[in-house]
Amino acid sequence: MESEQGRTLLEINGISKYYGSIIALKDISTKVYAGTVTCVLGDNGAGKSTFIKILAGVHQHDDGAVLVEGEPVSFGSPREALDVGIATVYQDLAMVPLMSVWRNFWLGSEPTKFGLGPLKVIDTAKAKQIAVEELGKMGIAIRDPEQPVGTLSGGERQSVAIARAAYFGAKVLILDEPTSALGVKQSGVVLRYIVEARKRGLGVIFITHNPNHAWPVGDRFMILNRGRSLGDYAKEEITLSELTQLMAGGAELEQLQHELASAMDD
Amino acid sequence: MSEAVTEPAEENAESMSTSKAGAAVASAAAAKTDDRLAHRGPFQRLLGQPEIGAVIGAVTVWAFFWAVTQKFGTVAGAQPVLDVAATLGIMSIAVAMLMIGGEFDLSSGAMTGTTGLLVIYLTLEVGELGGAGISYWWAVPLSLAFALALGWWNGFLVERTQLPSFIITLATFFALQGMKLGFAKLLVDNIQVGPLVQAKLDADGLPITEQVEACNPITGETEMVTQEVLRSDYSFFQGIFASEWSRNCHTLASRDFWYSSSILIGLSLMVLAAFVLNFRRRSGGSGGPGLVVFLGGLAAAVFGYWQLHNTDGIGANATWGGLLALGIAVGLYGFATWRFERNNDPGPLRFTSDVIKPGVLGVVAIVLGVVAARLLNSNVGTRLITLDNDSIQTVVAILTVVPAALLIAGALLRRASKGKTPVARLLLGSSLGIVVLAILAMLVTEQGLRATLFVGLISLGLIALSVAAFRAGFTSATARSAVLLLIAGLVTWLAYMVQVESTSVKFRAELFTVMLVGALVVAVWAVISRQFSIRQEFDAGSEQLGRSFGLIGVLLLFIGVVVRLLYVNENELAREIAPAKFSVRILWFIGFAALCTWILARTSFGSWTFAVGGNQAAARQVGVPAARTKTQLFMLVAGAAWLVGMLLAFRLNSLQASTGDGLEFEYIIAAVVGGNLLTGGYGSALGAAIGALIMAMARQGIPFALWNTDWRFLFLGVILLLAAIGNRFIKDRADNLRSE
Amino acid sequence: MKNLRSLLALLFALTLVAAACSNSNEGDEGANDDDSTSESDESESDDEEDAMEDDEEDAMEDDEEDAMEDEGDDEEAVDLTQGGDLTFHMITHSDDGPFWSVVKRGAEDAAAAVGVNLVWNPSNNTPEQQVTDIEAAIAADSDGIAASLASPDAVGPALEAAAAAGIPVYTLNSGVNQYKDLGAVTHIGQTEFVAGQGAGERFNDLGATTVLCAFQEQSNVGLEERCAGLEDTFGGTVITEFAGADADQTAQQATLNSLLTANDDIDGILGTGPVVAVSALNASQDLGKSDMIIGGFDITPDIIDAIEAGDIAFTVDQQQYLQGYLPVILMFLQATNQNTAGGGLPVLTGPGFVTPDNAAEVKELVSAGTR
Repeated sequence: MESEQGRTLLEINGISKYYGSIIALKDISTKVYAGTVTCVLGDNGAGKSTFIKILAGVHQHDDGAVLVEGEPVSFGSPREALDVGIATVYQDLAMVPLMSVWRNFWLGSEPTKFGLGPLKVIDTAKAKQIAVEELGKMGIAIRDPEQPVGTLSGGERQSVAIARAAYFGAKVLILDEPTSALGVKQSGVVLRYIVEARKRGLGVIFITHNPNHAWPVGDRFMILNRGRSLGDYAKEEITLSELTQLMAGGAELEQLQHELASAMDD
Repeated sequence: MSEAVTEPAEENAESMSTSKAGAAVASAAAAKTDDRLAHRGPFQRLLGQPEIGAVIGAVTVWAFFWAVTQKFGTVAGAQPVLDVAATLGIMSIAVAMLMIGGEFDLSSGAMTGTTGLLVIYLTLEVGELGGAGISYWWAVPLSLAFALALGWWNGFLVERTQLPSFIITLATFFALQGMKLGFAKLLVDNIQVGPLVQAKLDADGLPITEQVEACNPITGETEMVTQEVLRSDYSFFQGIFASEWSRNCHTLASRDFWYSSSILIGLSLMVLAAFVLNFRRRSGGSGGPGLVVFLGGLAAAVFGYWQLHNTDGIGANATWGGLLALGIAVGLYGFATWRFERNNDPGPLRFTSDVIKPGVLGVVAIVLGVVAARLLNSNVGTRLITLDNDSIQTVVAILTVVPAALLIAGALLRRASKGKTPVARLLLGSSLGIVVLAILAMLVTEQGLRATLFVGLISLGLIALSVAAFRAGFTSATARSAVLLLIAGLVTWLAYMVQVESTSVKFRAELFTVMLVGALVVAVWAVISRQFSIRQEFDAGSEQLGRSFGLIGVLLLFIGVVVRLLYVNENELAREIAPAKFSVRILWFIGFAALCTWILARTSFGSWTFAVGGNQAAARQVGVPAARTKTQLFMLVAGAAWLVGMLLAFRLNSLQASTGDGLEFEYIIAAVVGGNLLTGGYGSALGAAIGALIMAMARQGIPFALWNTDWRFLFLGVILLLAAIGNRFIKDRADNLRSE
Repeated sequence: MKNLRSLLALLFALTLVAAACSNSNEGDEGANDDDSTSESDESESDDEEDAMEDDEEDAMEDDEEDAMEDEGDDEEAVDLTQGGDLTFHMITHSDDGPFWSVVKRGAEDAAAAVGVNLVWNPSNNTPEQQVTDIEAAIAADSDGIAASLASPDAVGPALEAAAAAGIPVYTLNSGVNQYKDLGAVTHIGQTEFVAGQGAGERFNDLGATTVLCAFQEQSNVGLEERCAGLEDTFGGTVITEFAGADADQTAQQATLNSLLTANDDIDGILGTGPVVAVSALNASQDLGKSDMIIGGFDITPDIIDAIEAGDIAFTVDQQQYLQGYLPVILMFLQATNQNTAGGGLPVLTGPGFVTPDNAAEVKELVSAGTR
């Protein structure tokens, strides 16, 4: 699981995407290193979702190259992206709310003991134990893994999805607006899990429109605007206020920033 | 109450945890303080099970008909109920699985008839109209293959067209219905198809007969009978699908011993399980003296039971029954001393108004119930209102009274639900239930009204008192203990009231015993829950032990009932009790329920079923083969329909062309009564099985009660509504208990 | 490509729905057949694919074919006897199923016996078709029209017009309450109430004291009338209960079992259909009540076998052969001899009874197509 710190996991070289005559993305480049968080910032319509979809295998890019650990790739389906270790955690679609935590954790890749065809017997003891352990590593202590996921808070659900992606061998974790539907407190919880994932050597791509969420956890920042990159900065090359300026207009975020500062001094 | 106490604390804790910096450090703190992950007690988790509402409903419906009829609670009642429940249950389980997977199959009813008819067509002699004349060895598997192909077709179409399964399977239903009738007219020129070819024929084409010794299912005596020699293929399938167990042919002299001891041990184990799951294991010190007390109590109980079993007479019954009860109580206390940690701070004996209000309400309701029972005549069958042409006023009255009552109750319910507590809603809801049932009962007999009022008020009282006990627990263990003892006392008093009042042995002996046992358990619980401390944390060891005890207990109860149902003893034979036959289809039903429960709980396919019904997009995203899972579920339903088709064909030998048409809604209803969600993603196979049992009981109970069957659907409507509301209520409560 | 395939699948599914819907609609009508076994569709068309196509069109074609065939048959009969110049029309809601094929056989036998032409116009439960046929018969200056009135409101006016045009009009099978107002001479059929009365007298003769009238369909007026008739003539107690639908025989049998267990006094059961009567037999045998006196309605192989074995005492038969035979004879006698039968009352064709005494003969007659 541990990746060597700083290794280049994913390299994006000048990719573009056109929908007919519309330019959705033009000439975007960035790199994702193991154990770092790359934040992709942009307002609505900036091209964030096209960017994710190319990396997640939903769309194919038209120009440029995507290299995974040096190998050029082009994904035909989400499954292919998963197979090379790129896991995407979408905001809403991650969980089956009425199912228990451990079943959600293992869904689609249940550890089985024996059995034929669809009737493979799940090794429930092992499944529960690993689910509890893995969630513990992400900082959620679950004593009763039978609890339905629906009874967890939004942030905790996100983190179950993150823990799941990490456990199933993801090297690069793409988080699509994980904080946008959450309250301040819950956002703090998710940001903690992002830091936790980084510590474990994953390359994290954190998509958000909120620089105040990106700033405390990010190592690199890429700002998108109308399909083009406004720059790709390391943390030391830029300040929060510059970042906010780049995003155009961030005065109303002052209060949020204040609250985050207390939750997030890391 | 509790909201006020706990919520601010949680708020504080959580803001503390979030203000603590550092992700790694925070994890431990978050774990302890996150309200979502609070300890859920065993009862709470039990209430969270989808089938729990159905279990309560089944017990209630059974008890209701047991009380209002002469024979429903006997073997004579069990036979027709189980017969109907078996076929209905097999289908409702399969339909429930499909519903959990988020789809419906409206062709399931027609499919049961289709598979049965197919076997008949395939095996009829070639000479006869339309017969294919092939052996059952081929016909039965071919019919299964046909059913599975139909199921696959349903699934395939649903997946490919993305149309609602409602439409697709409705089309299949109509097509099957048309084909069944069409082929019946075309091939045999009748709407009845059959009979199956059964007998071996001699050279002239006549059935060969033989003389055999056989047990007469009515008298239980062995006699010589002449019967046809069956073809080996027919007799094989007849054996596995339609053989019967004639009760009168199976005598077991010691039946009552086996029956009562497995019930007694089963119940004790279940009480022990409740203890183990609820109390904290002692951390240190020797439990030696406790163990001695436990064993002593156990010995006394066994001796009391042995004497009770071997002696007759009321005086002896009281003595030895008392010893048995005392032995169990002392034994349980000893067990607690041996295993559990003492509670060093049971708290003061003080009651808040929260406790006093429901407490007083409970006592008043129980007293009212007894008064109502004494005032009303207990003569069986006195009709209060006769509906004939002259009583138009009555009809008008009912037409105005019922909606008015519903309106008033609805308004009250709405007002009450704006209040804070779900408990108030529960109390109001049950009062509403009593009013509606009392009105319905008035339509039938005075005895019905009496029973309804008595049972309703007593239940209301007991619920109110339980609420009081629950709330008293927030003040102190001592207060709760006091309320529980009050309940035990009231139940004992009620038991003796019932014994004095009732003319029926059923109530004087059976109900009396049940109530005394209940009172004993509550009393023991009251004492032990004050003396020992209740567990608030997860303890894998205790969970495991408690669960095993509970499971063995339930199994023993089940075995006890089975022994009672299957065997007859000399006493019964001498009294010429009605003969009962149990079909092998009940075994198929139990087996299928167990299989599907296991599939849902233990296999990947089970997980995927929940997932595709709960959130198909998410399931697909993590690599669940959603389309394949759904198609397999459709095929499961078709397979179940085939099984039921075989059960019907080999039982009845000839089938109506309309067999099974329109029953699909009954399957769905049974699944919903059993706690399965119409929208998918939640439910259980066991629940559907119990739902089928409820439907069968409701249906067979009405003829047993000799009610006018015109009202049957009214009754079914009430049951369905109560089941749905009850399920919803229990589920909500289980989910929200944390915030109470 | 994919789209095309799913479109095709959809089309196929819709065809299935359409085919099935038209089937079931037709099955619903014809409640006045007085025969629960006679419902619906699928006439002579042997080809199963026909069921997939548009049924209605199909049925009309069949009807026309039938009519032509029948006319052809009857032409041969013309010169054989003195009545050869008479042409009678029998215009019914027949579906030519097991029930109506016996009626048709009766009418044809009668026409052959007295030597008249018979036009058999079945309409497969389509009132409009019946109206058209009646109008055609008026135009052809028919010598007599016999019609079934399953839909009196739709078909009545046309029949009234026929009577007004001076054509002798008879109703058969259904229409007992309307025939007078329409100016029909008489009605040939059976009423449910009378059938129930007949069953009641049977139970009196057989010595029953408490009879359970078990019906298989709730809110079916015909079945209720049967039980009411039973109550009218039977000397003992009658308990009327719903026993469950024929589609779920398990539940039907279980319900009867419960009813018999709960009520020990019952010593006779009248099933208002053949299936419920057989269920009653099974339930009684399971409970060891072998003395139970069981009666049923209509004829199926099962019930005839049970009567032959002596397990079921009787079944009520409405003798529909007479409903075909008698109208032709009555119309012939009116045309040739100015007789008018009935005297203002309907002519009843039932109840006839099948009992152990005649079961074997009836069984043969059933296969011969006249019972």
